[in-house]
Amino acid sequence: MHPKTADRIATVFFWTIGLITLSILLFIILEIFGRGLLTALKPSFFWGQPKTDAPGGGVRPMLFSSIYLACLTILISLPISLGAAIYMNEFARRGRFTNFIRFCLDSLATLPSIVFGIFGMTLFVIRLRWSYCLLAGACTLALLNLPIFLRSTEEALRQVPQTYREASMSLGSTRWATIRKVVLPTAMPGIITGAILPIGRIMGESAAVIYTTGLFVNFLPRSPLDPAAPLAGYIWYAQTEAWVPDYRQIVNGGAALLLIIVFLINYLARKLAKVYSEKKTLGGI
Amino acid sequence: MRPEERRLFRLPQRLAFSILLVLSLSLLNPGCSLRRGGLIRVSGSTTLLPMVQEAANRFMAIYPGSTVLVQGGGSSVGIAQLNEGIMDIANSSRDLKEGENKGDLVDYKIALDVIAVIVHPDVRVENLTREQIKEIFTGEVVNWKDLGGADEPIMVVMRDRASGTREMFDKVVLGGEDPTGSAIECNSNGIMRETVASTKNSIGYISIGYVNSTVKAIKLEGAEPGAESAKKGIYPLSRFLHMFTKGEPSGRVADFIEYILSEDFQREVVSKEYIPVIEL
Amino acid sequence: MKNFFKSSGDSYIKALTLICASLSFLAIALIFYFIISESMEALTKVGITNILFSTKWNPDRNQYGILAFLCGTVMTTLGGLIIGAPLGIGTAIFLDQVAPRRMGEIVRRGVELLAGIPSVVIGWFGLTILVPAIARVTNSSGYGILAASVVLGVMVLPTITTLSVESLRSLPPELKEASASMGATRWQTIRRILIPAAREGLLVATILGMGRAIGETMAVQMVVGNANQLTFSLTQNTSTLTSRIVTDMGEAPPGIFRSSLFVMALVLLIFAMLLIITIRLVSRKKGD
Repeated sequence: MHPKTADRIATVFFWTIGLITLSILLFIILEIFGRGLLTALKPSFFWGQPKTDAPGGGVRPMLFSSIYLACLTILISLPISLGAAIYMNEFARRGRFTNFIRFCLDSLATLPSIVFGIFGMTLFVIRLRWSYCLLAGACTLALLNLPIFLRSTEEALRQVPQTYREASMSLGSTRWATIRKVVLPTAMPGIITGAILPIGRIMGESAAVIYTTGLFVNFLPRSPLDPAAPLAGYIWYAQTEAWVPDYRQIVNGGAALLLIIVFLINYLARKLAKVYSEKKTLGGI
Repeated sequence: MRPEERRLFRLPQRLAFSILLVLSLSLLNPGCSLRRGGLIRVSGSTTLLPMVQEAANRFMAIYPGSTVLVQGGGSSVGIAQLNEGIMDIANSSRDLKEGENKGDLVDYKIALDVIAVIVHPDVRVENLTREQIKEIFTGEVVNWKDLGGADEPIMVVMRDRASGTREMFDKVVLGGEDPTGSAIECNSNGIMRETVASTKNSIGYISIGYVNSTVKAIKLEGAEPGAESAKKGIYPLSRFLHMFTKGEPSGRVADFIEYILSEDFQREVVSKEYIPVIEL
Repeated sequence: MKNFFKSSGDSYIKALTLICASLSFLAIALIFYFIISESMEALTKVGITNILFSTKWNPDRNQYGILAFLCGTVMTTLGGLIIGAPLGIGTAIFLDQVAPRRMGEIVRRGVELLAGIPSVVIGWFGLTILVPAIARVTNSSGYGILAASVVLGVMVLPTITTLSVESLRSLPPELKEASASMGATRWQTIRRILIPAAREGLLVATILGMGRAIGETMAVQMVVGNANQLTFSLTQNTSTLTSRIVTDMGEAPPGIFRSSLFVMALVLLIFAMLLIITIRLVSRKKGD
């Protein structure tokens, strides 16, 4: 075949594939929003109490649970993974041990979330006698997100040119001063994106929370030791148990609401990282 | 220029730090937890969760100041938590298994679950014998024409293995034989009803309260599923739903169980899905 | 505060960060230890061969064979990759090489959005759109390996695309320029130069996509039918390891039954480690 013809065929082929991918996305999003957006935006839904015996229930406690859980998870895992990343990138010598830790972290990152779920259930919920609560869910999710946080933070730290560090050290700064004044600010956009992006994942996570945090509440949880029912897990429970006649509407609305939240968080993360990096470059000049 | 730039950079950092501090302080306050005096902790079967939650809502309206926390997660987890002493009541859709009762669990039967065998409305069969149902669910009979229906393949729908309904059905109908592996498994009564209603030539089983016009309940050995036949003992597909406590309950926990067994609650709520125990 | 850091110097900070690092390591060790110790009961009382090589799963009668679920996981994962990998790599090549800037940007954003969709939402989509559609076309229940494969294909697509784009972008631009300056068409450059050069990266992308497919739980549980039979038919219901754990965990009493679920978790852990080892081997080969 003439190379030009082959090239043309290939171009058409790749355009088709690109358009297929785009249309899959559009199909899913339009379908979910088409069915659930009206419900999701009704105040009686996103700000209403769930019902056990009649149609028309809302998801306010679930929405609140999701947000609470995400904050708690970040609060637990961010400091630890930031510290660990600084240690592994700035202090530890590269060797067998760090290599081994990285291997374990990567395996952990590939481990299915339901495995974290049953781990959290047997350890936190039953063994440690916490029962279903936000803290159990947050600890489980913190474990689940540890490798991801660590990875992204490390990546951000590694992006900082070695010359910055050397320059700062040669000016007589201590290691810590170098990290605080030079390395961390430069790596900040990466760290922020790395910290916010998983929030979307935490909000959408259901397998790890249904056995640790709870399935159904009609209180707003007030402390980490209260049971809660994150939205994603509740959606799953509503479609499995189907105890109210309008469960389809609840699931549709919940799914649309969840999509809106996740998209919003991802958008924010990117915006924030962008703003931060622009400010940094301006300030640096 | 320098100091200004410094402040520009420092401000958001400080702000973020203080927000984080306030957040963490407000998030980490076990002091105002819902877990305080007058609290009844209930956990267990996901099937019973909505009904017991409804009971909790009504109970809290009657006894202001009391708090009932109802959680799901499964009968086994509930009983394990009860044994650990971190729950007051465990809901269970099945009897206790070996090793679960360490001698001090008290059993309250809160409802009778009568299971109706249902088929897709287009299926022409009205009545099946126990032997025929067994042959269908073990996969020996795979076509409706062998049972007096049309020449169509039988789509068998079952509850998931974890469910108490399934356990009872397997014991009573299959009598220890293995069910066919090709069956669709559904996780709840509601989903089972929908699956049977939407799958042509299907057969399944659900709690009597869930039967509506979208599916057709068939007779078993000529007996209509219901309270009457179950009471007379001619309808074998029924089981009790339980609440377990560790030792004799006292105080609010006893009140709560009493409320669930009360005529009001049994007639108004339990009867929507199950047979109230007061009718037996 | 400031003075404290200054005067105490690096050692405190080093110790503090070391504590964080050890904590993370401890957490990892705890998970590994826990999964192994919890699965011991079933492994010793039932026996490894009776678990791994038996398709009979009936906890009431002490049968704990997980082969059927293992096959379910393998089949759905393969199905997901057959759908997701070509689409993902093709999309990556499209948005990096073929598409005009704006179009590429749109597709890239789209893939990012797709990556963010929670698995329950995709599962719900599959349950309400895909399953009825398959049921209509194939005259079956609609649940099963086919439905799960399509759902997984959609879910691995963004993973594979993002990683493939990364590996394509990491190629030196001179490669492409040199090829173009020698008069090669775009397709020739892609086929002869770019794909071979990025081969390891594309492979790693596919393997990580595989990891995602093996581990996906809720979306698969919603569409796979949850039967416990060994099947190779696309429209028959079956289970995967993850979907079985979700359905049974709450109702499994402590003892061999619960322990056998941890055996499945152990198998998944071994899968995860094998995948990571493979990736390391592939990347090392590239380094040589």
